[in-house]
Amino acid sequence: MTCEAEKVTGFVDGALPPDERVRLEEHLLECAQCRAQVEAERALRARLGALPGPEPSPALAARVRGGLQKDRRPSRLRWALPLAAALALFAFWAHTAPGVVATQMAWDHDHCFGRKTLPAKVWTADGAFMGTWLQQHGTDPPNVPDGAAGLELVGGRHCSVGNRTLAHVYYTGGQRRLSLYVVPGWVRGGRAGEMRRGDKTVRILHTGGVTVGLVSEQAEVVEAFERALTTTYAQAVVRTLVAALPD
Amino acid sequence: MTRDEIFQNEALPHLRSLYGSAFRMTRNAHDAEDLVQETFLRAYRAFDRFTPGTNIRAWLYTILHRVRTDAFRKASRSPQTVEMEGEGPPVPPPQDALAGGGEDLERALQALPEVFRMAVVLRDVQDFTYEEIAHILEVPVGTVMSRIHRGRAQLRTLLGEQG
Repeated sequence: MTCEAEKVTGFVDGALPPDERVRLEEHLLECAQCRAQVEAERALRARLGALPGPEPSPALAARVRGGLQKDRRPSRLRWALPLAAALALFAFWAHTAPGVVATQMAWDHDHCFGRKTLPAKVWTADGAFMGTWLQQHGTDPPNVPDGAAGLELVGGRHCSVGNRTLAHVYYTGGQRRLSLYVVPGWVRGGRAGEMRRGDKTVRILHTGGVTVGLVSEQAEVVEAFERALTTTYAQAVVRTLVAALPD
Repeated sequence: MTRDEIFQNEALPHLRSLYGSAFRMTRNAHDAEDLVQETFLRAYRAFDRFTPGTNIRAWLYTILHRVRTDAFRKASRSPQTVEMEGEGPPVPPPQDALAGGGEDLERALQALPEVFRMAVVLRDVQDFTYEEIAHILEVPVGTVMSRIHRGRAQLRTLLGEQG
């Protein structure tokens, strides 16, 4: 074996694989130069290991701790801002989602009709009167039909569901019942068609500039009221147009 | 124990040792302190990726070396390039090489090119294994052996010993 100075270094550090270590040990027996390198590197290693380390200033530990603390605060903000934005976006999405509004109306329909007596604030069978009452109580009404599909107007009130207040108009006929809601604010389009919530059919439509929700256990009742609403609205438009015509 | 407390208990005790190596890397106290602070900051941010019970000292040194390399990259010069130079001593041996104590050795260490200096410091001062050093410096084990060998050889020359 010829002298391999790098391997001698590896030998000093115990970093050689066993076969190479054995070969080097044999070589050392006959090579004074390599033996001298082993001794010199071991001595150097001992001196280096005994070197006193440079001491940091006493302030460094405090500086490091302070740096970590400062890092901790903005890291919370880094998360908080997008999180708040995401929550706000979600709240807005939920508030304007027709599916969410449908669920709220279906829940309130059960809630009001589930009482022993209907919790109406105004009792009337007159659609025009109901419309005026709603207007006086802060809700722009659609043209409220007197009834449809054998159901008749009973009365109405305002119901608080979640974070919104809905105008709730009750219709009954035998065992059948229908809720007509006026939804304030804006509700997204998309799934504005018929939705099912448990045993109930829910329909959201835009008529006469307002958002109206219809809820009933019978799909055909919902359909009849949808027709009645749009017809009543069309009739009102025609009446207005006729009235505006010159004689 | 919170994440912060675990970090303080596990990582901060290595501050002195890291500073010693940072000082030997940068050769001045100001840069060494900045290097150590940045190292702890990065370690703190990455602490979730550290596996508890594994070698936190080697992990901290890996970060220390990366921070140092990044600083070099920013200054668009790499400490790796000096490895291509010859094996000869970069400066003449100090006059008081035989003065004894640690001063001559410290001075000779400072005179080494950084790649050799770091390999020797990690091995002979910090007592890391070749595998750990290879991991810290992100080089093969063979390169570690070569750097330690050349570093020690230059040190011996600088100290006036036989090469």
